[in-house]
Amino acid sequence: MNSLTASAAIATGRVQLANVRHTALNTARVRALWIMVLFIFATLTACVRIAQLGLFEQTPERTSLAEALLPSRGEITDRNGIALARAFASYSLWFNPKAMGEGGAPLVKTPEEVARALVGIFPDADYADLVARLKAGKPCYLRRRVLPEDANKVFALGEPALEFPREEQRFYPQGSLAAHVLGFVDEAGKGHVGMEEVLEPRLLDPAHRGTPTALSIDARAQGALEDELGRGMLETSAKGAAGVILDADSGEVIALASLPSFNPNRSDLAFNYLVTNRVSNDVYELGSTFKPITIAAAIDAGVVTDFSTRYPAVPLQIGKFTIHDSHDFGASLNVPEALIHSSNVVTAQIADKLGPAALRRTMMQLGMNERPKIELPARGRPLWPRGGGQSADSDWARLTTMTVSYGHGIAVTPLHLASAYAALVNGGIWRPATLYKVDPAHLAQGRRVFQASTSARIRQLLRMIVVDGTGRKADAPGFRVGGKTGSAEKPGSGGYRKTSLIATFAAAFPMDKPRYVVIVMLDEPQATQQTSGQRTAAWNAAPIVGRLVPRIGPMLGVVPDAHHDVDISDLSPLVGSGEGE
Amino acid sequence: MMVSANRFRSIGWIALLLVCAALVMVLAFRVNALRSQVHRTELQIVALRKEKLYLETEVETRANQQQLKLWNDVEFGYVAPTAGQYLSNERQLAAFAKPDSPDTPAPIRVASADDSVAAEAAFPSVISGLAAEIAAPITRSADDEGNAKPAAKPADAADRAKATANLGARLAMVTPLKKDGKDSGGKAKTDKDEKAKDGDKKAGLAKSAKTAKEEAAKPGKGAKLAAGKTETKPGKAPAAKSAKSTKPAAKSAMGGSKSAQ
Repeated sequence: MNSLTASAAIATGRVQLANVRHTALNTARVRALWIMVLFIFATLTACVRIAQLGLFEQTPERTSLAEALLPSRGEITDRNGIALARAFASYSLWFNPKAMGEGGAPLVKTPEEVARALVGIFPDADYADLVARLKAGKPCYLRRRVLPEDANKVFALGEPALEFPREEQRFYPQGSLAAHVLGFVDEAGKGHVGMEEVLEPRLLDPAHRGTPTALSIDARAQGALEDELGRGMLETSAKGAAGVILDADSGEVIALASLPSFNPNRSDLAFNYLVTNRVSNDVYELGSTFKPITIAAAIDAGVVTDFSTRYPAVPLQIGKFTIHDSHDFGASLNVPEALIHSSNVVTAQIADKLGPAALRRTMMQLGMNERPKIELPARGRPLWPRGGGQSADSDWARLTTMTVSYGHGIAVTPLHLASAYAALVNGGIWRPATLYKVDPAHLAQGRRVFQASTSARIRQLLRMIVVDGTGRKADAPGFRVGGKTGSAEKPGSGGYRKTSLIATFAAAFPMDKPRYVVIVMLDEPQATQQTSGQRTAAWNAAPIVGRLVPRIGPMLGVVPDAHHDVDISDLSPLVGSGEGE
Repeated sequence: MMVSANRFRSIGWIALLLVCAALVMVLAFRVNALRSQVHRTELQIVALRKEKLYLETEVETRANQQQLKLWNDVEFGYVAPTAGQYLSNERQLAAFAKPDSPDTPAPIRVASADDSVAAEAAFPSVISGLAAEIAAPITRSADDEGNAKPAAKPADAADRAKATANLGARLAMVTPLKKDGKDSGGKAKTDKDEKAKDGDKKAGLAKSAKTAKEEAAKPGKGAKLAAGKTETKPGKAPAAKSAKSTKPAAKSAMGGSKSAQ
């Protein structure tokens, strides 16, 4: 029993030992398994990461090439693709007082020294304002737009606190060129004044902003117009000037300038009276430039059939009012002479014969009773004379008809006049002016105002005014310019002011087949040495056209030719020699 | 044995699978590497385009209309061309020629112009109204023999338009002279006096217009006026026909060069 017990005890001890061994083995296996699982997990993780890096790297952040190059605001170009406005990452000057670490002075030199150096680089900067900003120690813009060369100069000052972040801003490479057409974009990115405001939805639309929007403007013609207007303004010490070049057939505005102008690149300075567009927003009594319109209406209506008929040219008494001419042109004048010498008396008589209804209808057909037709947001409402009767539609009084015939008592924008002259010379079709480039095959719907034969007569008469009459200084050799002067006294308190004039020259060229209408207007030109002591359009506005047309003609496809001209041989025998307004 | 063979086969399959998987992996990696390279290049393109736009804008800003005007006022002083600087047709050019004086040498007629250019010259547009009327029935009768074709007028108008369009190119054309040519062109080359040549060329323009008219007056030859300027190579088909009408002109050219010597 004992031995049995002993052997059993030994057996039990063995079993226990075997159990221990077994347990130990199991534990080891489990641990090995865990380690293996860990290794496998690590390997798998590494493989997955490799695969992820290898297969899917950069996928989420990929952007297409087109998207990356899409400007924040669409480009505006002229008709030949020259950029007039574009989104551009330009430098700005940022003051970061913490650039040299917390505490201590933000600048190496004193704020006064830095401000003085900055004024040396940017002469238009305000010294006191700069000093105040640098002393305040708050991060702020010191200047919104900095040229790269100026940025280099500022960098050379050795101030780490002056930084040059590049920011996408609206940039106008041509400076103040066509400022009134383009307008400007404020710091919040909103367009104002011109096409920037009109085109805003399109310029910001991701689907469209990648392609530039072409305007009808020709930058070269625009430059020439602004240059010549500026020169004319300086020579005559005028308060302002306005000019427009219009395609006579399509109504496209080739150039539009209002002086003095503003610089759209400095949008912070642009909110002032200079943004008023004299061409489309301000209304003026444009005086004698209306006479060809009256004569055309009279020819169209059959009131003027014989150009040799003579009308008395002595002052005309209508009630208490007397219509008189600037000079004494003798006892009588015929129609060509009346235009050449710019006779108010004869034009008034013809208008009287024509009657208020016909003249009023013509003026309405030319759009003189409503705001000018153009895309610009600022369009002035004309001062349209009230009818003689109670209702708004009643005809004008006799005197109103007579004064309107020579451009008084009605105030319109120069753009109205340009569109009317286009209709006068292009065969009689009035079309709205547009700032979009127009495909010649898809011209805007026009309306016939004059017969084609009337238009042909007017072309002859306008050419005669430049050859023999008041527009002689506009006669650019070979360009067959035709046009009419207009010098209207500005109304002031207590009637018209003798010395404050609006001098206008409305022209078209080449007269044998008119392509372009040019309107030039000077606001209150003074009598100076350059204008031979004269104030009237013949001496100040007409020479501007005479200098402008040779500059723009060849660029716009009008080749000067001294051998071509509109045939005026049937009318020239009717004209004597003399001087007019 | 069977077991081991099966095992080998399955191991083989697994190995093949692994190799394929590895190859796919390598391919995928390479594709992706290329893709990121493309992406990098795109980024580079974007950066370069932006840089280009930047430079373009800078140039445009520096050369804006107002700046150009200032430079012109100070430096260049260019003015707009006047009416006298434009020529609208050959007649206006010919009007610059001086009338022949008694001792003027006869014009040198160089018969070595390129065929294509000469054909474009469309000389029939220079034919006066009368000559054209004479020439027209002949062309028409020639046409009547074959298929009745529309009158030559539209074609003539097209020629004229073409001739006007490339007037500048033709005026600027330099006619090459051959050194060892057997034709009249070669003999004309013997005249080495440059000034005399220039003078003769001017006179020649006026004369060629004149001869053109005379030639046009002769029935049947009016339409072939281009030949007066065309080199007549025997091998060239279009010129071969006009060779006859060239001869008198070529002779006068030879005479001209002799008298110049």
